[in-house]
Order: sequence, then structure tokens, then C-alpha cells
Amino acid sequence: MINFLGSLRVLCNAQVRFVVIGGAAASAHGLPHLTYDLDICYDRSRDNIERLVSALDPLHPRLRGVVNHLPFRLDAATIANGMNFTLSTDLGDIDLFGEVSGIGGYEEAKTSSVNLVLYGLECAVLSLDGLIRSKRAAARPKDLLTLPEIEALREIGTQVKPELGPVGIQNHESVRGKRSEPGPSD
Amino acid sequence: MTREERDKLIRLISSPPPGSKIAAAKEFGADLTLLVSTLELTPTERLERLADAQEFVREWQAAMKTSAHD
Repeated sequence: MINFLGSLRVLCNAQVRFVVIGGAAASAHGLPHLTYDLDICYDRSRDNIERLVSALDPLHPRLRGVVNHLPFRLDAATIANGMNFTLSTDLGDIDLFGEVSGIGGYEEAKTSSVNLVLYGLECAVLSLDGLIRSKRAAARPKDLLTLPEIEALREIGTQVKPELGPVGIQNHESVRGKRSEPGPSD
Repeated sequence: MTREERDKLIRLISSPPPGSKIAAAKEFGADLTLLVSTLELTPTERLERLADAQEFVREWQAAMKTSAHD
């Protein structure tokens, strides 16, 4: 279970640089599949890792799928020394990815993303093309199961709204909050 | 999505062009009719619908657990 609004708000308010990937990204594009967590690809620069830690720390992050008595503290050093983390937090399960299969790190994920307004917040979300590339590269059975639908979704977008290009069908919603990408002054 | 776009979407899903990705997905077994309603929503509404589905599953699992103990 994941509180999307709460999680995205926390990350955006802390001006964490991230791209929404995985099932939540696919759902935001319109794929009617169930997912239980929020997957993000985060920028591994030092300042962003510190923002990420500050944002998540009040949510009491702990590693998911390990026995509780194992010591774990999500701090900047832990993230810098690792890459991907599957976390349970007070707002639900949030997975942090330093790299995405078939895409690369944050910069590549950002280049392969579209800006969508989610709960009034402008967020970078992996594009349908990006999702297709990552799922082809990951090639796990669960990825390959959703691939035909994502490819169909991309094609539907180009057929129904050709003026938008291959970005799918995104209906308008106004921005109320901060962007996930800090401006040059940050 | 406008009414014309919706109609076009329904036509595409009902009779996808041979050799298209839409036809391939249909052949694969995907129920593309579910896309009609999700594509009418905003991205936020899609995530809200997903959250509702998560909640339904959670309640269902809780009910199953309770009935198993009865």
C-alpha cells in the first residue's frame, strides 16, 4: 500500500530530483494494473541524496523484506554506498533506484520522462517509450506480461492524439505545487 | 479526451489495424476496453483509482483472513 499524494508531496516539497518509474508511472499513463509501491529513480548527486534523506527520515524508512532486528539507518552515506533500496515507510512502500534497466541513471531517466501533473505537483514520469525500454531490458516475466499493453497504449496515443507525439493521452490538470526538479537557484 | 477522440479510441480497440501493437496486445489477451475509462481520467485520477483498488484488495484480504478464523 502506498499513499501517492503524501509520498509525492514529501519528495517535491524537499525538492528531491527524481523520476517516477515502474507501475506508478505506467498507471499515470493509463495502464489499468495494480501496483503497491512507488518506484522512483533518484539523482545520486550528494546534495540530492541529502534532500532525499531529509524527506524520508520523518517517515521512518526501514528496509522491506528483512528481519526487523537488522540494524538499518537511511542516511546519506548508506545511500551513497548503495544503489537501489526497497523501503517501507509510514506512507507505504517506496523503492529507490539509482539506475533503471535499459535506461541508466537519473539524467537518462529524466531525458526519457514527461512532466505530468500529479495531485497538483508537476512530476517527471518515465515516458511510455522509457517504460517500454526498461521493461524490455529487465525482461522479467512480470515485465513481459505488461509490455504488449504499454506498447498498445503508446500506439493508441499516436493514433488518437497524433499532435502530441508518442506521449500517450494525458488530460489536463493544473499545477498547484512545486516541481520535482529544482530550479537553477537551488 | 474529446468525444471524437473517444470514438476513435473505441474503434481502434474494437478493430485494430492488422499488424499493429494494439492488435498484438489484443491477441496476447489484454483487455484493452479497460483503457477507455482510464484514458478519460487525468493522471491524478488514474493514481486515485489505483489507490482505491489497493484499498479494496486490502479490505478483501482482511475479510478473507477474518472468515478463515471463523
